[in-house]
Amino acid sequence: MKQKPDLIEILRRSREGEYCSAHEWDVKRVPKAVKKMLKKYDLQNKLDKENPVNMDMELADKFYQAGFDLALELGMLNEARDRIVKIDEEELISTLHLAPAEVELGFGHDKRIMKSRTPSDPYPMLFGSSLGITMSEEAWPYITEGIARQPQVDILESGSLCSINGLEALPNDPSETLLCYEQGRKHVALRRQAGREGMPGIGNISAVTEFGQFCYGTRGNFYTTDLSLILYPSEMKINNQTMHKVVHTLAMGGMVFAGSPGMIGGMPGPPEGAVISSIAAALLQYAILFSTVGGGELYDIRYLSNVNREGLWALSVTHQALSRNTHLCTHGIANQVSGPGTKELLYETLVGVSVIAASGASFSTGPRSAGGKFNDYLSPLDCRWCAEVAHAASGMDLKDVNALVKEFLPEFEDNIKTPNIGKPVQEVWDLKNFKPLPEAEAVYNEVRSRAKAFGLPLDAI
Amino acid sequence: MSDLINKLYEAVIEGEEDDALEIAKASIEAGLEPLKVIRGGIQAAMDLMGDQFENGEAFLPELMLAGDAATLAMEVLLAKIKEDGGEGADSGTVVIGVMAGDHHDIGKNLVRAILSANGFKVIDLGIDVGVRDFIETAKRENAKIIACSTLITTSLPYQKELIETLDAMKIREKYQVILGGGPVTPQWTNMIKADGYSNTASECVELCKQLVSRDLEGGAADPIIIGALNA
Repeated sequence: MKQKPDLIEILRRSREGEYCSAHEWDVKRVPKAVKKMLKKYDLQNKLDKENPVNMDMELADKFYQAGFDLALELGMLNEARDRIVKIDEEELISTLHLAPAEVELGFGHDKRIMKSRTPSDPYPMLFGSSLGITMSEEAWPYITEGIARQPQVDILESGSLCSINGLEALPNDPSETLLCYEQGRKHVALRRQAGREGMPGIGNISAVTEFGQFCYGTRGNFYTTDLSLILYPSEMKINNQTMHKVVHTLAMGGMVFAGSPGMIGGMPGPPEGAVISSIAAALLQYAILFSTVGGGELYDIRYLSNVNREGLWALSVTHQALSRNTHLCTHGIANQVSGPGTKELLYETLVGVSVIAASGASFSTGPRSAGGKFNDYLSPLDCRWCAEVAHAASGMDLKDVNALVKEFLPEFEDNIKTPNIGKPVQEVWDLKNFKPLPEAEAVYNEVRSRAKAFGLPLDAI
Repeated sequence: MSDLINKLYEAVIEGEEDDALEIAKASIEAGLEPLKVIRGGIQAAMDLMGDQFENGEAFLPELMLAGDAATLAMEVLLAKIKEDGGEGADSGTVVIGVMAGDHHDIGKNLVRAILSANGFKVIDLGIDVGVRDFIETAKRENAKIIACSTLITTSLPYQKELIETLDAMKIREKYQVILGGGPVTPQWTNMIKADGYSNTASECVELCKQLVSRDLEGGAADPIIIGALNA
């Protein structure tokens, strides 16, 4: 029986695989293959908008089979050379067999064990904060330390920096390399300053190209007990930047955390198609990108969000499918659109993170407050709320989570297209004293009380 | 409506490039007025596709294929209008691309398809496009609009660099620079003195129409913002 291909073989295939232009891949190969799988497994029109959390596990398993077949049929396109990297069935089975079911992150008191989970698994889904929301150089250290000081947050990612000592950092430019080395060094120092030196990290969120990623695993910078973040350009594509990052991470003895969201309305089409492509991409990234953890992200292209009914349903099916049929440590994101200080952001988090946690993902990161569009629009309080929900909702029955979603979705779903972006961190959080400002805290307390009254076991963990 | 216009409408919706091209040629041979064919056969089809996309009934590949079919049909119809000495359907040339460092092209492809179907000649430079390539192409193609997109926050400074370079080359007034992508906001558009922003791909058509018709003889004008987010 064939084994998982090694790095040399993957690099060879990304150079010598079948030729296919990106245009043909996007408008023909991917859509046709997805449609074929939807038909073959009778998975068309399965979205149930009235019940945004799927409760039919046989359906989830059928989606998994379709995703597995799609992975074998398509492979991933290396857009740097227009070559397809294919993986055959034996290789994929071997890859999934070899993937870790449990990963130790960080060290000392703040070490976390990330585990493969199943739907309604009582083992808590880990939570990392935040996503790549841009931050000013002035606010970044305070926000980052503020996040690290939230004991509920398991993993520290932090926001993106766009400048270093006033110089704008440009991708593929020495300024990117310098910024990322500096950010990584400070990231480590801030964890120590917050009293959580061994807290696992994710790096480097500001690394657009491979140059930014070179800091990972080097002396005084991101540890190899942290995750090396490697985003690929879309759910079925890789490029040279991606592969450079993989090679560097493996050379450092580190852990690859790869990902790219499947897009509802994008190349795979409807929510059902996006579920299949998201599953296929999750499986393939373990073979092609040597992932240690990750896979399972998914957004709706119309809003770059997934806290609408289509997105929530697709997230639930994707994670149920992956968690029931593999022992991968998968990752989901609730892509919020509202901003700090608003009730809407807290409700979007409550709904989105609960769905991911109860559906079986191993970890989640966030929030994407204000859709990640505005500088300094991230509060450590919102990070704490995400982590609280992640832990509390982990063991919930899917029926109860569906009821929770139906209860709280009306609080924000009419505003997803035109969200309330809220306020910058300085207006909701006391940066120097690491605590929320009264108005924002009152909003948080109100939403938290409602969630608890509804049955979310927030104080049980 | 003419049978040929109906057939062109169907061919565009189905994304059948060859059929759309042949039907467009046949409509000219049949003596149909090209502007009428464009409005009834191409514009109406793309409007429907746009509505279906917004409602989750059509998806990006269909929209791109429809855009490709519309572009081919549009080329022969526009050539006929020019040959007859007419104007009015050619909305102008747009150079579009994803900024350097960024490989995310879904939003850019969406805008390309919709602009093509609305009479704009769209030169697509693809992904990871440097400032120099945007400018050189705009000069060569005599473009009125440079449309630059990025999904990555750290590629945003290249949008600023593009405008600063146009300024430094003293050709800023020749081009309308519009911005798109996840992290792009009206505030950013104002800050870097770009010319326009729209929140959605379909609103980008209105943005481009307004920009090509505005007179910049008197110097720089305020950016046109369509579909701002709630503050």
